[in-house]
Amino acid sequence: MTTLRAFTCDDLFKFNNIQAFLNFLSQYGIPFYLQYLAHWPEYFIVAEAPGGELMGYIMGKAEGSVAREEWHGHVTALSVAPEFRRLGLAAKLMEMLEEISERKGGFFVDLFVRVSNQVAVNMYKQLGYSVYRTVIEYYSASNGEPDEDAYDMRKALSRDTERKSIIPIPHPVRPEDIE
Amino acid sequence: MAARGHVQDPNDRRLRPIYDYLDNGNNKMAIQQADKLLKKHKDLHCAKVLKAIGLQRTGKQDEAFSLAQEVATLEPTDDNSLQALTILYREMHRPELVTKLYEAAVKKVPLSEEYHSHLFMAYARVGEYKKMQQAGMALYKTVPKNPYYFWSVMSLVMQAISAQDEKLAQTMFLPLAERMVEKMVKEEKIEAEAEVQLYFMILERLGKYVEALDMVRGPLGEKLTSELQSRENKCMMMYQRLQLWPECNALSYKLLLKNPDEWQFYLSYFDSLFHLMDKSWSPPNEEEHCVEGPVHTTVAEAVKFVVDRMEEEDKKDSRPLRGPYMACLELIHRLRQRGCPDEEELGDPLELMLQFFGKFGDKPCCITDLKIYLHLLPPEQHTQFENRLGELVPLGEVGEDGFGFPGDTKALQRHLCVCQLSRVLGLQHTLDTEGKLCLITELKAHYHYGLQFGKSCLKTELQFSDTYCLMVAHVYIDLWTETGDENMLWQCLGVLEEGLSYSPSNAQFKLLLLLLFCRLGAFQPVVDLYSSLDAKHVQHDTIGYLLTRYAGSLGQFAAASQSYNFSLRFFHSNQKDTSEYIIQAYKYGAFEKIPEFIAFRTRLNQSLHFAQVRTERMLLDLYTEADITSSLEESVKAMGLCPEEDDIPWDNMRDNRDLTVLFSWDPKDRELTEEHRRLSLEEESVWLKVRSLTLRLLASLALLGHAPSKRNSDKTNENGVSAKSSTLQTLLSQLDLTLQTAAQITEKQTQYPFLGPPSSRLASALSSGSCHCQASALQLSLTLQELETTGLGKMSDVDFCTTGLQPSVHLQKQQDWGGECKGDVLEMKDSRLMTQPSLLETLVFFVETVCVVLWVASYSASVLRPLKSSLQKKKKKKTKDSSTPVVLSGFQEWTGSLQGIVTQALDHVKGQEASLTALKLAALTLGVGHAQTQECGFTRAAMDKVQTSYLGSLQELGDLLRKRADSLKSLKF
Repeated sequence: MTTLRAFTCDDLFKFNNIQAFLNFLSQYGIPFYLQYLAHWPEYFIVAEAPGGELMGYIMGKAEGSVAREEWHGHVTALSVAPEFRRLGLAAKLMEMLEEISERKGGFFVDLFVRVSNQVAVNMYKQLGYSVYRTVIEYYSASNGEPDEDAYDMRKALSRDTERKSIIPIPHPVRPEDIE
Repeated sequence: MAARGHVQDPNDRRLRPIYDYLDNGNNKMAIQQADKLLKKHKDLHCAKVLKAIGLQRTGKQDEAFSLAQEVATLEPTDDNSLQALTILYREMHRPELVTKLYEAAVKKVPLSEEYHSHLFMAYARVGEYKKMQQAGMALYKTVPKNPYYFWSVMSLVMQAISAQDEKLAQTMFLPLAERMVEKMVKEEKIEAEAEVQLYFMILERLGKYVEALDMVRGPLGEKLTSELQSRENKCMMMYQRLQLWPECNALSYKLLLKNPDEWQFYLSYFDSLFHLMDKSWSPPNEEEHCVEGPVHTTVAEAVKFVVDRMEEEDKKDSRPLRGPYMACLELIHRLRQRGCPDEEELGDPLELMLQFFGKFGDKPCCITDLKIYLHLLPPEQHTQFENRLGELVPLGEVGEDGFGFPGDTKALQRHLCVCQLSRVLGLQHTLDTEGKLCLITELKAHYHYGLQFGKSCLKTELQFSDTYCLMVAHVYIDLWTETGDENMLWQCLGVLEEGLSYSPSNAQFKLLLLLLFCRLGAFQPVVDLYSSLDAKHVQHDTIGYLLTRYAGSLGQFAAASQSYNFSLRFFHSNQKDTSEYIIQAYKYGAFEKIPEFIAFRTRLNQSLHFAQVRTERMLLDLYTEADITSSLEESVKAMGLCPEEDDIPWDNMRDNRDLTVLFSWDPKDRELTEEHRRLSLEEESVWLKVRSLTLRLLASLALLGHAPSKRNSDKTNENGVSAKSSTLQTLLSQLDLTLQTAAQITEKQTQYPFLGPPSSRLASALSSGSCHCQASALQLSLTLQELETTGLGKMSDVDFCTTGLQPSVHLQKQQDWGGECKGDVLEMKDSRLMTQPSLLETLVFFVETVCVVLWVASYSASVLRPLKSSLQKKKKKKTKDSSTPVVLSGFQEWTGSLQGIVTQALDHVKGQEASLTALKLAALTLGVGHAQTQECGFTRAAMDKVQTSYLGSLQELGDLLRKRADSLKSLKF
């Protein structure tokens, strides 16, 4: 039971229960959030509990060339406060992002995830995503941890009737080689 | 810098190396290269601008500026120069100059789409809405593209939003904007969704809800597709504004059938239902209820609707949704509010909550959900409820220690939820001391047992049983505040440190530790805790107060300075960041975000915390540096402080603090209330006023010292001097008034919940006498200033002595007051460790006051010195009257007494340091019953941190006092 609505700047002031406890996600600066709000406001959705607590949010964008059938929705950040996990909220938010991408005529939705983040990888698999390729050292080192590879995971949308967009690429790629 | 497009242009080729140097940060080479190029091609203006960028980046702002102006006055129209100047002006924080640049360019090249659009964006950056409107229109006339037209429309909306006069907005700007859009609608030129959004925004702001509704439902509304349920949401909003309850009800119903978990629609469903009932609305016969479909108008229908939703969830194989079950409790709550007897049809709240717990008890949010409706249970049912809940928790067999434990994480979560509920119901609070200690033992046992489930957790993950640990800490805090037994506090610190060792990312542990260390006056461990929270951007505003409230007040000056910087860096970047994205919002047509971004920027600029750190940072710099590394006057000038200027938005202050960031499961009557929030803001504002007035008074004192000597003063100088002293006078009377308000506020002795906002420094500042002592010292400088203008010879010496000595009398009093708090900051008594953090806080106030008094003394010396030297000349001439005037002996007596006071204080600090160092914590036996060595280890570690921190504070305070004592020597004639 959730109120799903557009994310607003004022939500940044209520961010503490999501943000402070987030560690698996890199945290973004204000410019980053504002950029998404200015460019893809419809892709930035927040879930609010009946008591007013922020439960989680999803932030994404639409990008890629239509001509090359690469126009797609991208999940930039998805995050649910620990208190509100195991309620299916992440799945709900992903579903909304996919729906928006469908309406925009995207061919697929994609996202990047740390290869070590098995919990997230499994969750995305359950939601119908598959590993499209591995991106070498996509996550740069921090706090003494080494660079880490990412999975680029994809899910085809209805426009991609033959599901061409998700045929895996066998060889890993470097971050500079991705669009 | 942006890649240049036209490679063929020979100038581009020539400029390329300079761009490269600048891009690589090699500013010197960029300047050299530009000079070389300019020798050959005098008229290559862009080279000059690039050189100016190099100069600007190497700190030669003035040179850079005049070079840039050389080019700007030529009104360049080449792309390179314009872009380079734009970059330069932006780096100079002079965005208004960019507008001038493109105004000229547009005049010379009136058909350039690019320059027109740059001009529009330049206006946008500085918020010149009227000019934006015109620029947008000019652009549209040059190139008739829809977005340009709507930029102009949006600029009208912004004029309406920013208009001081709401009437002007409603009768001029918005109607004009509306007409502009209507024109496009009539001509069937509306293309994009953004344009429809903007139309909606205008109608909404005009209060034309009927028109807005028609528009959304009509063909234009079909363009609203990006956002999910965009049309439905907008219709709902309009139904509510128009109080069209049948439509509101029917739409909510429809949306809930589609998604029975959408909480906002349950609320609008219930709201509309009761409105309809109050109006005895009945559906028209034989036709549709309303455009949105069937309407519910009776409680019976609502009950059936909710019950059906629940039954549907019950039937589902997949995970049930919480919405329908919560809606049931919400409906009971609303029926009860209305005194409606039908609630029974939904069932007994106790049973319903048990049912809810049965379904969702293993989710961490169960407590957050149920908490909202606990008031539906009468108090006499509380214990029964707890017991019944307990029956639903599968625990293993009771072991030797008398406890049974959960077999998996789901059972653990259920048990945890029961503990949380019992706390929220106040059942933990009613336990006596022994009961609470037993509870602690039980919770600890569960905590340790539960750790096994999280053995494979990553460092970044929380432990399943962390919440037990946090609850233990809360019960310890209850015990500490009730009994005053500091042992409870030490053990609380120990248990939290232990928790952190198993769950190093737990922010709640860190926040609570941070709070406790601050209350104990130990700031050193706090800095590390805060930085390990990895607070980002807005968090420096929302939770920064936890740190900065204590930063300055505990004598850890270096750490304080660092803490203020954390916050200030964020606030300063805000201005720049936002204007960039306002421009982007125009580009992408996210019109509704533009006022939002501006409101966001304003909210940060008007932040209470921002004003506090700004003020405290400057005061701190003065206390620790002025008259030590540089003179007070130099320091004040370097800060750009102007005593006449007050940059704090007193009437629009925004309290952005997140005062509930620390988890609490306290019952309602112990929770933070709106009244607490109001009182805390009031108190903080008054304290800020005291501090900011002190700062401005110090600035005006510093500038007094600069007053030209009386003898060669002409009229203007005299005016200057009297203006300065009148500022001082005004500020002093403001301070006086503020201190009176402050006294009234502290009389209230407001107590906030422990996990709520900390009290400000106001009460201790007043009771220590520090405020009054500083005020009287500053008063003395005013008296002296006045005497200097009337002539020192004519002054009543007696007057001076009484006023002059007053600050030191006050200072003496303040020190005595500090002395009254007998004992040491940390003491061991009967194998108990006791703290007196108030000693530290008082000492800090004392040191701050010493600084102020010494600055006044230094000013006095500068005034009296000429008198002294003229006296010496007289002596040489052997004039008759050669006795030292009372004013000079008075001054000497005063500085002498100051010397005495400071020396005494230094001895006091040394004494404290010595006894602190002598304290051997290892000798402390931590009470029997807590013999588990590991736990004791964490408690000891916490104690050590406190001891080390106290020592650090004393050392920094001692150092500063010594430096101040040195500066005192130079005041002797």
